[in-house]
Amino acid sequence: MMSDAPAPPEPHAEFSALALTALDDVYRFARSLTRDEADAEDVVQETYLRAFRSWHTFQTGTDVRRWLFTIARNVFLRSRERGQREVTLDADGAEAVDAAQALEGWVVRGLDPILDRADLGPAIREALAEIPEGYRDAVVLVDLEDQSYEGAAEVLGIPVGTVRSRLFRGRKLLQERLAKHAQDAGFVSPAARGTTGSAPRSEA
Amino acid sequence: MMNAPDREDAVLDCRGAMTRLFDLLDGELTPERELKVRTHITGCPECFAHADFEERFLKAVRTARQTGVASGALRERVVQALRADGWTG
Repeated sequence: MMSDAPAPPEPHAEFSALALTALDDVYRFARSLTRDEADAEDVVQETYLRAFRSWHTFQTGTDVRRWLFTIARNVFLRSRERGQREVTLDADGAEAVDAAQALEGWVVRGLDPILDRADLGPAIREALAEIPEGYRDAVVLVDLEDQSYEGAAEVLGIPVGTVRSRLFRGRKLLQERLAKHAQDAGFVSPAARGTTGSAPRSEA
Repeated sequence: MMNAPDREDAVLDCRGAMTRLFDLLDGELTPERELKVRTHITGCPECFAHADFEERFLKAVRTARQTGVASGALRERVVQALRADGWTG
């Protein structure tokens, strides 16, 4: 009879069960990073190779997607070997509500009537692709990949306060871009751009 | 290290509530602070409207998540690369 001791977890099987089942998530995140299909596939493959080699460092019970996203982002950054660094962002995380106050009223008035449209997805993705990378990464991780501020901070290697700041600014930039797209698509009347202000809803 | 004026004992004004609005919508506040922010928003028409706008905006963004999945070819490519690296799963 075999030993009574339970067999130790089989790392390869565990890798299959945990890491490989997140392949769609990693692929989607890689696409958001690279915005290129072929580059994304390269990032995914390299991510999984590195993840497999480092599997012994993964702490069972923690968020495997967060762990894989972190690796994917590092792979992506490494792949951009031209020394082109991330866009410089406000480093002190001091973005605050003043930026919201400064949001053009036309953006809010333009977006407000269309936010519930079911066909807004493509315009949002297009607008998202246009905002600077550091802000986009924070929005993608928190809004599209359901990461907490802490999780996004871990993936991006930045303090939680900076995630909070980038997320705030990223969302405001996204709103501006989206409003422009909506206007170009005829969803929003150019007349709505007449005045500025921070009123969130259009007044009668 | 955050710069927000968020002393626990303070009654929130509009600025304080709006500074914490995204934290609220993202589920990042403590229950006590969430209560303070919600209390202000509920009683302030301007902040209520602003919160409604941001909540609907975030909902729209979340629905824009890509539905694309990794192709079979990519999946196979990853599996082959892992096998070449010693994976036996």
